[in-house]
Formats: sequence, structure tokens, C-alpha cells
Amino acid sequence: MSASNGLIVDAQQVSRVFSMPAGPVTAVRNVTLQIRGGDHVAVRGPSGCGKSTLLHMLGCVETQTSGTLFFDGQDVSRLSDSRRSLLRLRQIGFVFQRFFLLPMLTARENVELPMSEAGITKEARQQRVRELLEYVGLAARADHRPSQLSGGEMQRVAIARALANGPRLLLADEPTGELDEATGAQIAALLDRVNQTGTALVIVTHDLALADRAGRVLTMRDGRIASERTK
Amino acid sequence: MTALGFAWRSLVRQPARAALGVLGVAAVGALLLDMLMLSRGLIVSMQDLLDRGGWDVRVSAGDLPGSGLRVPHALETAEAISTLPSVQAVLVIRSASAQIDRASGLPLRTAFQGVATRSTDPEGARLRAPWTILRGRDADASDELVIDERIASEFMLEPGSTITLRASCVADLEALPATRLTVVGVAEFPFQTTNESTAGGTLDALKTACGGNVGHDADLILVRSKGDADGTAAAIRAQHPDVRAATNTEVVGRLQQTGFTYFRQISSVLTTVTVSFAVLLIAVLLTVSVNQRLGEVAALRALGFSRLRVVKDVLSESALIVGIGGLLSLPLGLLLAAGLDRILKGMPGIPVALHFFVFETGALAVHLALLVATAIIAALYPMRIVSTLPIAATLRDEVIG
Repeated sequence: MSASNGLIVDAQQVSRVFSMPAGPVTAVRNVTLQIRGGDHVAVRGPSGCGKSTLLHMLGCVETQTSGTLFFDGQDVSRLSDSRRSLLRLRQIGFVFQRFFLLPMLTARENVELPMSEAGITKEARQQRVRELLEYVGLAARADHRPSQLSGGEMQRVAIARALANGPRLLLADEPTGELDEATGAQIAALLDRVNQTGTALVIVTHDLALADRAGRVLTMRDGRIASERTK
Repeated sequence: MTALGFAWRSLVRQPARAALGVLGVAAVGALLLDMLMLSRGLIVSMQDLLDRGGWDVRVSAGDLPGSGLRVPHALETAEAISTLPSVQAVLVIRSASAQIDRASGLPLRTAFQGVATRSTDPEGARLRAPWTILRGRDADASDELVIDERIASEFMLEPGSTITLRASCVADLEALPATRLTVVGVAEFPFQTTNESTAGGTLDALKTACGGNVGHDADLILVRSKGDADGTAAAIRAQHPDVRAATNTEVVGRLQQTGFTYFRQISSVLTTVTVSFAVLLIAVLLTVSVNQRLGEVAALRALGFSRLRVVKDVLSESALIVGIGGLLSLPLGLLLAAGLDRILKGMPGIPVALHFFVFETGALAVHLALLVATAIIAALYPMRIVSTLPIAATLRDEVIG
């Protein structure tokens, strides 16, 4: 499988079954999906329909129980845990509903953390942190801790952190779920800007306004992609 | 940010929890250090006491010096031992009970040690008694003696003073003759116990004090070899099969097999208990800490932090708590040891110069090794939690929770 055609993720007939005490539960059922560079995809659907599980599979934190999933041409199921960690570190960015910023670190340090883990030099890290915090409009709050930031500001720091190592794919799980409408709109605009720079963006959301900004909107039901709408 | 830096920030984030862990380790570490000092303290201290003065072989009538049995014909035996080629000097020690008269009130009961040196070696002939002169000089003549600090302070005596002493070399019930002796020095007697007082002089001085009734026996014969203590002890045993000759190391070995074993056993049990307590304390603190931030750990893993990295973070946190607590435990342990030593030395029959707790680099090394093991073992379970953390399920649970 070649990645030369801009293809980042190629999922073919992927399913994810969880073993539960009451019996196996199929969260994602035979989903086929391709994500290319610059794609803007929104995944919608009712709670428990498998959106987040699909997102986690695309982000290589969950492995499929059947089907194949290639990331940048590599069969993810064949990668060791450390190789998948490295893949996530360098190619994938995650934005979470609850931000998950580290409370003991400043905004600057939170953004710097993935770069530090990737072995980037201190000078390069500092430069990149400045650029990213400026990009998300928080240069003035660089030395503030998460507890000193508003929800919207925390999510912007989280986006900057997700972009730290220049990922090809940015995955956002309900990025506006904890925010009010106006702040959510600001975050949506920021994500649009990220996407416009060529970073593929997959957003799982209940927020109709946020989903409507995407080029492709997938609606899931019972673990399947029930419909796909392309602008 | 390195794992250690990250762990430091995690600790600072919850200062109360960190302080609890550090103080707990400091207390447990102090006890641990004390147990390690106690396990060999008596042995090291006893070896040091025996080695003082350079006498490396002890000849006695019983299995252990101080058993109460006396070496018969001690001066002849010492004379014969001094002719052995490996022997530099021989010292005969004869003890007697004595009383020092007061101007008013009951006399002070004391021990009076008389010593005599035998040597064919000019350097050996200059060797003196096993006590250490603190002030003045050693007693040379039959009308001189040295006294300990207790006698000196109680009778306000200093070198140059005279005292009236009544010694009994045969039986306590005999009528004690009064002898006037000149104090020429104040000395420290290594095996003197807290409640005892001791005076010392030449064997002739003892003979004078006992009215010439000293007999031919001695409590102990000390021998200084020319370097081969084992060979000298063997030669003495061959020459005098009727007495026991043992090197200082052999004497300590025998003590180790008897009374000192209890301290080692107690210390081993308490060491195990304290280390287990430290492991449990740190393991509980780390487990609680890790469980409180499973979402953060899962997020870091999703962002690409390797399993090894998150494990290192937990291990570093454990190392920091144990490291800081361990450092604090050193002065705390030494202070505690000094206090406990003072209490234990208050027991009757314990030589003042003997210590139960002795600091050794070996004990420090074992202390450090045990703390390192504590940090690692305590971190095992929380490390397992983060290393096997299901990333997606945890992220999902955090959102639902």
C-alpha cells in the first residue's frame, strides 16, 4: 500500500468487538474509510454508535478485531506498541473533550511536552512553542497553568499541543463538548485554520454546527457508517 | 522534559501527598539505618575496644575473657609466652576489689587493676596498660595509681593528690589494710561499666595495696604479637594447653555466637518490617496518585508517549520520594541512634566505651541499596497500572465519568 497519493489512513472492513460479561459487543462493524491529506471529516451519530471507537482506531490507540487498517502505508495491526507510539507521536495529533492538559505544567510546557518526547532540540522546541501559541492566540498566556485558563483557552492549548510535532492527521473527540456555543465556534474556526494548512482533520461530534463545517460528514448507527455526505 | 523533571512536577503538584511520602520514608529510613547500625554495632565496637592498645591475643582460663576463672601462675606463664619468637610483649592483669576511704560516710567501692609487662623486645617493654591516660601520666611505682573520672570528680582528685585505699586480693571478707597511694594520672578504662569506678597501677602497687597477699593468679594475660596474631595464639595454645588463647577476632566471633546474636536477629526482623512498611507506604501513595490521573496518562499515551516513558515517570516519582526521604533519614537516623545508644548503655554491666549503634560505610551502603530496592519494588504495581493501561477505554471512561 503506497502513501504517495496523499492517502493517510486506509481502513478496509474494520470491526471492533469488545468482550463484555454479558457477551461480545460490536462497537464498529465493517467500516471502510479513507482519509487523505487535507481531508476534513466529521463523524456524527447517537451515543454508543461507535464514533469514538472508530476515531481511536484511526488514531492507532485501538486495534481492529477484523479488517485491515493502514496508516501511511503501514499495517497498524502488525506494528509493535512502541512503533505505534512513535507513529502517534510524529504523525497523529489528538484533541480531547476534556483537554487532558497536565495541571502542573504551564501552557508553554504542555505544548512542549510531545516535542520533548520526540527528541527535538530545546531551541527548536522553544521556537515552535512560540509559533504555536501565537497561532492559537495564547502567546500572552504561555506561562499560565491550566487552572488559570478558561475552557476555550485550555482547548486552544490542547490543539497547539496536538500540532506540536506537525502531525498529518488531527483527531478531535467532541472538541467543543465542554464549551459554550461562542467558545465552541472559536475552536471550530481554529480547527478550520489547521485543516486549511493541509492537516487532515477528523472530528467526532454531536455539534451540528461543527459537523457542518466539514467537507465530509459521516453518520454512524450501530457501528456502521449509515450515510456519508460530501460537500 | 525528562522523566525525573516530570516526576518532580507531579510531586510538587500535590505537596501534601509528597510531604507525607517523604516524611514517611525519612522516618522508616531512619529506623532502617539504626537497625543496620545495631546489627553490627556491638561487634564493631567490641572489636574496637579489644584492639585498643594493640594487644591482639588474649589468654584466659575460661572460654571467654572475663568469665571469672583466673589464669594460674600468671607471671611464669607470661614470662614463658614472652619468649615465643612471634611475641612482642605480654601484659598480666590482676583485678581486686577495693575501697577508697571518704572523710565522712561510706567508702567508695571500686576495682583496682594491677598490671605487669613482660617482654624480651625493648619496644615491647615500653608498652603500657590497657587504659588510656586522660590527664597526668601512667603509674610506674608501687605507691602510684591512676584513677577514673568518677573517682577524680567524687573525691576532687587530680594528679599529685593522695588517697587511702583498701584492697582485697583474696576475699571480700578479709580485713582490708589501708594504703596511701599517690594519684599520678586520670585514665579511661575501656571495659568499665557505667556504675563502676576503677583504679589502676602496677602489679606491685596492687601487691602493696593488698598487703602482699596477691597470689599467683591473674584475670587475663594480654599479648601483642609481632604481626601474626593467629600464629601467636596457636603457639601459646601449644605451649600452654591448660589456658585458652584467642585472637581478638576469635573473641568477637565467640561473642557473636552467644549474646550478640540476639541483636542481629532483632535487627534483621525489624529491618524486614521497616522495609516492608516503606514499600507499602510508597506503593499506596503512588497507586493513589496514578489512579487519580489515569486520564492524563491515557492522553499522554494517545499523544505518543511510549509505555516505557510513562513507566519511567512513575519510577522516577518513586525514586524522588525515596531519595529525598532517604537523605533526610540519615541525620534523623544518626540522632535516633545516639539517643537509643544512650538508653541501652544504661543497662547494668555494659562497658561505657561499648556502643550498640556504630556507623559504618557498609551499613550506609546496605541502607542505600535497601532504599533503592524499596523505590523499585514500591513502584512495581503502579508501573504495571500505567504500562497495561488500555488507552481508548480509559479515555472513554474519563469522558463518561
